[in-house]
Amino acid sequence: MKNSFIAVIFAVIVCSLLITTTATAQNTGDGAAQITVSSVDVNPGVFFEGDTGIITIEIVNNGAESVAIRRATMYDSDILVLSSSYDTTTTVGAGNRMQFTFTVKADVPPGIYYPSFSLDFRDAGYLRYPVQIRVENDPLEISVLEKPDTYSAGRKDPIDIMVGNPRDNPVGSVIVHFSGASVEAAPSSYFIGTLNPDQAQKISFNITPAEPTSLDIVVDYKNGVNPHSSVVTLPVNFGESKKQAEPILSNIIVEYGDGKYTLTGDVTNAGLEVANSVVLSVGEGAEPVNPYREYVVGSLQPDDFSSFEITFLAENTTLVQVLVNYRDVDGNPSMRTTPVIIPPKTSAKEKTPGVATPIIAVILVSAVLIGGAIWYSWKKR
Amino acid sequence: MKGMLPSLLFCPDTFFSERMKEPEDLKIPGIIVIIGAIIAAAASYLISGIYEGLFTAAAGEGMASMLGIFGAVSAFIAFVIIWWLIFTGIFYLLSMAFAGTGTFRRTLQVIGYGLVPVIIGSVISLLVSLYYIPMVEVPVISNIQDPAAIQRVMSGIFEDPAFREFTQLSAVISAIFLAWSANLWIFGIKHARTLSFRNAIIVVLIPVVVFMIYTLYTAFIGTPFLGGS
Repeated sequence: MKNSFIAVIFAVIVCSLLITTTATAQNTGDGAAQITVSSVDVNPGVFFEGDTGIITIEIVNNGAESVAIRRATMYDSDILVLSSSYDTTTTVGAGNRMQFTFTVKADVPPGIYYPSFSLDFRDAGYLRYPVQIRVENDPLEISVLEKPDTYSAGRKDPIDIMVGNPRDNPVGSVIVHFSGASVEAAPSSYFIGTLNPDQAQKISFNITPAEPTSLDIVVDYKNGVNPHSSVVTLPVNFGESKKQAEPILSNIIVEYGDGKYTLTGDVTNAGLEVANSVVLSVGEGAEPVNPYREYVVGSLQPDDFSSFEITFLAENTTLVQVLVNYRDVDGNPSMRTTPVIIPPKTSAKEKTPGVATPIIAVILVSAVLIGGAIWYSWKKR
Repeated sequence: MKGMLPSLLFCPDTFFSERMKEPEDLKIPGIIVIIGAIIAAAASYLISGIYEGLFTAAAGEGMASMLGIFGAVSAFIAFVIIWWLIFTGIFYLLSMAFAGTGTFRRTLQVIGYGLVPVIIGSVISLLVSLYYIPMVEVPVISNIQDPAAIQRVMSGIFEDPAFREFTQLSAVISAIFLAWSANLWIFGIKHARTLSFRNAIIVVLIPVVVFMIYTLYTAFIGTPFLGGS
């Protein structure tokens, strides 16, 4: 009788334990079902190969009871997870949300990867959630819209470029730098900021080269926290522009008179661009004198012409250089030299006036009269 | 007064002997000298026009006209001093060597009268200058502060054919009329300083010939300007 009673008690205890265990498992299983992933944020949206990024996963407890979480982790065979797992047991209250952040490094070839987010519940069950990570290596594109055919030393030339973002995610901190040996760029850099997908930004700048060289256009930007750059190199070759203004001298007449040479002529702009601040003067072999030491023509449109006049002295030479200084629309100075043959100065000077006949007559008559007067005065003495 | 001028020019012996009978009077000789000085001033003003461009470049239009006035005043004073006072002084001193008597004032009087031919010559030279000066090509100065440029300009003026010809003709005219004045001075000095004809000729011709040679030499041979060649 006593053994039977003990057996009944033991059976009751075992049954009670079994009933309790069964009830607990059922509650936990309900809690796991209540947890869902509400949002996933991947920054940057699209990785470059080797980029480091942050994945933020938010879960929400949609049930009426709290759920205990034992461990949250992320793992993948290709994507490297740099941050450690969440190993501390925590509880997500009913209706509450919780975020988990993981740092990953996409040291993988371009493609699409799915690292798994894993959530283990304390009592039983787990949650697996694959997160999509895209890896692309498309850099920002730099397009040269307009540039001069040739450059000149000390001349400022404009260049227009377009910086475009062919990626599916925005990039930030976009800065364009211009650099090169013996090149002065203005502005020296240009800040764009954030460039959204399929967006482009036009940039205009000027360069002033001192010698033939190359110009590097560098676009620095950040994909998430990862710095990247794109580079385009432009050759800076010197030469004559096909469109530049060409002041040509014609109808040149050089005359000597009043102790100086006077050079008159026409200056015509035979180029395709306007010539501003056109000033004519004499160079080697001549010395400018008043009244026209220099002659300011001003602006000459293509195919336009103007007359000019220069006065100068020239000793022991038959050739003088006429200088035409002018500027383009940006104020870049240019000079063109035209040699001009001048007549010898002596040709004008050698024209002796000759003693006028009346003067000779006056002198002779005076001499005769004076001789007569002297003779007469001595005779009358 | 009537018939004084023909008498002076053609019968100077008679003219000066009559003047010796009169008290010393510098009024008429003074007027003659002033007329000569005015003509010299006018000629100088005309010639200064050649340098006008040079000084206009240096100091402007006002300074150039001031230069003309300054030149005219200088010529006026120079004529009075050189042709009247200095010539009179030389004749007076030379005649002292021949024991000449008579006052300096009397010598001034006869030298003043004797300048009439020089003045006639000056008038003719002035007329000749009106013909030649417009033909002178004045070089343009490039830099007034450059001595080489100034010398180049001055050399250019002196080498100008018209200017050279004017200078030579002017010298010839001066020499011819100076000879006439010298003739008058011989008679004048003879009476004023009571010299013999021979001594009067010596007294007058020594300075006059020297002056004449100098004038003709500078006109035909020329002298370097400011150290130039």
